[in-house]
Amino acid sequence: MSRSSLWLSLFVLALPFTGVAFLIYETVGFDWSELNDAAWRASLAVTLYVTLVSTVLSLVIGTWLARSVYRRQSTWLASLLRWPMFVPHVAAAYLFYVLFSGGFPFYGLVEANERHHLVVILTYVWKEVPFVFLMVIGTYAQLNQGYVDMAKTLQLTPFEQFKVAEWPFLVKPLLDSFWVLVAFISFAYEVPALLGVTFPELLGVLAYERLTTGLFLNAYESYAVALIWTLFIFIGVIGSYSMTAKRRRRIERGVRR
Amino acid sequence: MRRLKQFGMMLALIFLAACGTTRAEIAPTFEQAAEEAKQSTVNFYMWGGDDGINRYIDEYVAPRLKETYDVELNRVPMDTAEFVRQLSLDKRANREEGTIDLMWINGDNFRNAAEADLLHGDLLDKIPNTKLLNEDAQATDAGTPTNGLEVAWGNVQFVMHYDADKVKDPPTTFDELHRWTEENPGRFTYPEVTDFTGNAFVRHLLYAEYGAAAGDGEIPDDFWEKLATWSPSLWKQGTTYPKSLAQLDQLYAAGDVWMTMGFNERRAEAERENGVFPSGTRALVLEHSIASTHFLAVPFNATNPNGALVVINELLSPEAQLAKQDATYWGDGTSLDLTKLDAVDREAFLKLDDGVTYPDPERLAERSIPDYGPAVIDAIREEWDRVAQ
Repeated sequence: MSRSSLWLSLFVLALPFTGVAFLIYETVGFDWSELNDAAWRASLAVTLYVTLVSTVLSLVIGTWLARSVYRRQSTWLASLLRWPMFVPHVAAAYLFYVLFSGGFPFYGLVEANERHHLVVILTYVWKEVPFVFLMVIGTYAQLNQGYVDMAKTLQLTPFEQFKVAEWPFLVKPLLDSFWVLVAFISFAYEVPALLGVTFPELLGVLAYERLTTGLFLNAYESYAVALIWTLFIFIGVIGSYSMTAKRRRRIERGVRR
Repeated sequence: MRRLKQFGMMLALIFLAACGTTRAEIAPTFEQAAEEAKQSTVNFYMWGGDDGINRYIDEYVAPRLKETYDVELNRVPMDTAEFVRQLSLDKRANREEGTIDLMWINGDNFRNAAEADLLHGDLLDKIPNTKLLNEDAQATDAGTPTNGLEVAWGNVQFVMHYDADKVKDPPTTFDELHRWTEENPGRFTYPEVTDFTGNAFVRHLLYAEYGAAAGDGEIPDDFWEKLATWSPSLWKQGTTYPKSLAQLDQLYAAGDVWMTMGFNERRAEAERENGVFPSGTRALVLEHSIASTHFLAVPFNATNPNGALVVINELLSPEAQLAKQDATYWGDGTSLDLTKLDAVDREAFLKLDDGVTYPDPERLAERSIPDYGPAVIDAIREEWDRVAQ
């Protein structure tokens, strides 16, 4: 590794740590019981719901699409699927807002700005499926066809074929995607701000609101929530990677043959 | 090792550069300030979301300043909360040479800035044109005393607008408005109370119930229960509210709701003329209307405070205030007391007062009420969630 790239990576690494240090500094002396109000509690619940549903749906659909594209070798579908990646989140949110809150055919079926946050979830799934697709298609491209063939020879059911010949290799990209999506969706602003409701609000929206209105006193709540959430995701990432570490290493060695 | 040293030096330099040394001084008289300000640039930080306001500054004010005082005006568009936050960070870091010379501010942001000691004081004595100010408007900012930390720039009142083509029999009181929403479900809503305008609407309802007596911030439960009875007939059955006034205006422009609201009695004129608002848009003045003033302030660490004083003086001149009130650019009410102006200027202001969407100025003036203090604004913000649930 060259020296400049070492410096660059140290710098990039230092940023999040500085951020966390700043958050800790800001929350010194904060009365944590202030977070125990109805707005934050409701926000946590709805955030977990929206994040998990969007993430899981994106992972399932993205993987399924990657698998079909890989099996049928359909390149046009592969390039078509990339398109939503190039639409910014704000633009996507606005697109879905227009589709679901005016006289368009979808109106009445599902509506924007309702408490189940269906349009929020839909927007995220539309935006994130191509991301998952790209993460997973690479794995499929490198997949050793031998395992699949062997599974077929052994006359396993299609589900078992998937389980033994494909799933072990997908754990790594899916885990990566899962945390990227959870971290992003759970604390984002623009999509839920435009398509969500006044109560309950997603964490990112509520935190931004408390940060920018009223006296600065309320800002500490937002810092505290940002801190807790960052640590929560950090622990989740460490935990899930260490739990799967052994398996992933074994698989990676196997793949390289 | 050498590289490490270089790196350390760089860090130290950045740190030193960030800690400015001395605060810029304000000249003792306005004449001296004008002399000092010659050929300087004033960085004017202001919310930049309105094209008319931006054009007023760039096309009208800036050239006049250049000509009269040889001062360059640099408008920096930024959200007010954003630059007040930046200033408070400056304060904590002891940064005595900031980037902001003049800012447009009011309400919560002013309260934050005043409490954190972010503003230059005693502005009024140093600016000649402050003699012309409307003293009521200058005295308080959404209930917080201004204490010379800011200077009134404009003064507006809360007015609702409705589409007369759809609303045949407009309400005249807040109670009638409530009944009207029940007869026309889904055609009315107001912005969330974190929004400046939405909070003000709820304050009007509070005033309709309890008058000035509710000023201590203790809002009775009855009020919230009554407000909750509005919800079922609001837009989306009150399950959600527009996040901002801009969003409410969009709903109104699209015909989803039939009324909108806001501070500034002239705000709908240009929108109607441009075809954004329906052509049937008319003003609706109910039994009372909160007056709101917005202000100019100079940050503690302005590097060109003298230039800022010159700009404030110019913005308060009768000509500049008249151009501001004209619907061509902005249509913002003057902060000057018309009785303190000479006859010609006064006439010019009175002549401006006809627009299709303008309320009757006398009626509006007679229903004007002072705002509640920050305690009520905060209490509404904290307790309104009950209604939104």
